[in-house]
Amino acid sequence: MITRTYRFAGKIIEISSVYHYVHQYCEEYAATGTPDFSVITDEEDIDYERKKSRLEDIAFGREMREYSSPYLESLAVYRKIAERMPAYDTVLFHGSVVAVDGEGYLFTAKSGTGKSTHAQLWVDYLGDRAKIINDDKPLIRIDGSTVTAFGTPYNGKHRRGCALCVPLRTICALEQAADNHIERVEKNALYPLLVQQVYRPSDPVMLARTLTLLDCMTEHVSLYRLGCNRDVEAAIVSYQGMKG
Amino acid sequence: MKLNSNFIVHQTDKDTVIVPTASAAFSGVVKGNKTLGSIVKLLQNDVTEETIIAEMKKIFDAPEGMIERDVRNAIGELRKIGAIEE
Repeated sequence: MITRTYRFAGKIIEISSVYHYVHQYCEEYAATGTPDFSVITDEEDIDYERKKSRLEDIAFGREMREYSSPYLESLAVYRKIAERMPAYDTVLFHGSVVAVDGEGYLFTAKSGTGKSTHAQLWVDYLGDRAKIINDDKPLIRIDGSTVTAFGTPYNGKHRRGCALCVPLRTICALEQAADNHIERVEKNALYPLLVQQVYRPSDPVMLARTLTLLDCMTEHVSLYRLGCNRDVEAAIVSYQGMKG
Repeated sequence: MKLNSNFIVHQTDKDTVIVPTASAAFSGVVKGNKTLGSIVKLLQNDVTEETIIAEMKKIFDAPEGMIERDVRNAIGELRKIGAIEE
């Protein structure tokens, strides 16, 4: 077992793994201190991730992908962290968070819609004012009326993100469209998507906590729906529509 | 029958949502109205379809046959996604 500690969303987490890979992956988040909690992975967890990945490939009609055990273990580690985080008022959310002038904008959509592409368009449009905090699976802490998005090492295939946090101003659901347009929406309009995009723990108590946190989060951030193409004009329309 | 323990019922504004845990094979979300909310509330204990229909008739005033049809449809849909334990 290889054991080291890391700071994710303000919590010290002790990770004990079979392989070294996850520690390389999380290196930027290494920290010292008394752990808030520990996660331990073994071959059984790796097998679970392998089976899950194969089932997803079948469900989506994709060619079966083969992943290495060290990589699959890194997924198992984050899954175990996500299972525990609701106890600390924090959820894992599938989306891309961009910070502009100290405020966070979270783009979410089903896989393949273009979240990362749109986040990159913001960087292209806004230059140094925009920074990608996490391009895939940020942690979001909901502390009363304060909603904060945290960077984590699990930031997508392009590894875009940083070890920073930012107060979250908006959540924006992306849809592909020929012409760019944005509208502010009520919670009901996005709720099914938001429930799909938040990590749903296997423990029913933690899932109930997650849904309560999601309700609280939607009360304290603005919600938008964006129809967008892949032109930089999409970033102009969405930024101008959401900046207030 | 009763609601599978891998599904939880959550009330949000006017809607009832049924959400699976990561352990369930179904990964979607079921959104319903007050009627569905009442049905799944009863399904949190072991009940028969007839009991649900009888309890629903106490709550809702509806034309003859409508409650029976709504309950059977709702249970049928929940069965399809594995949300019912027999």
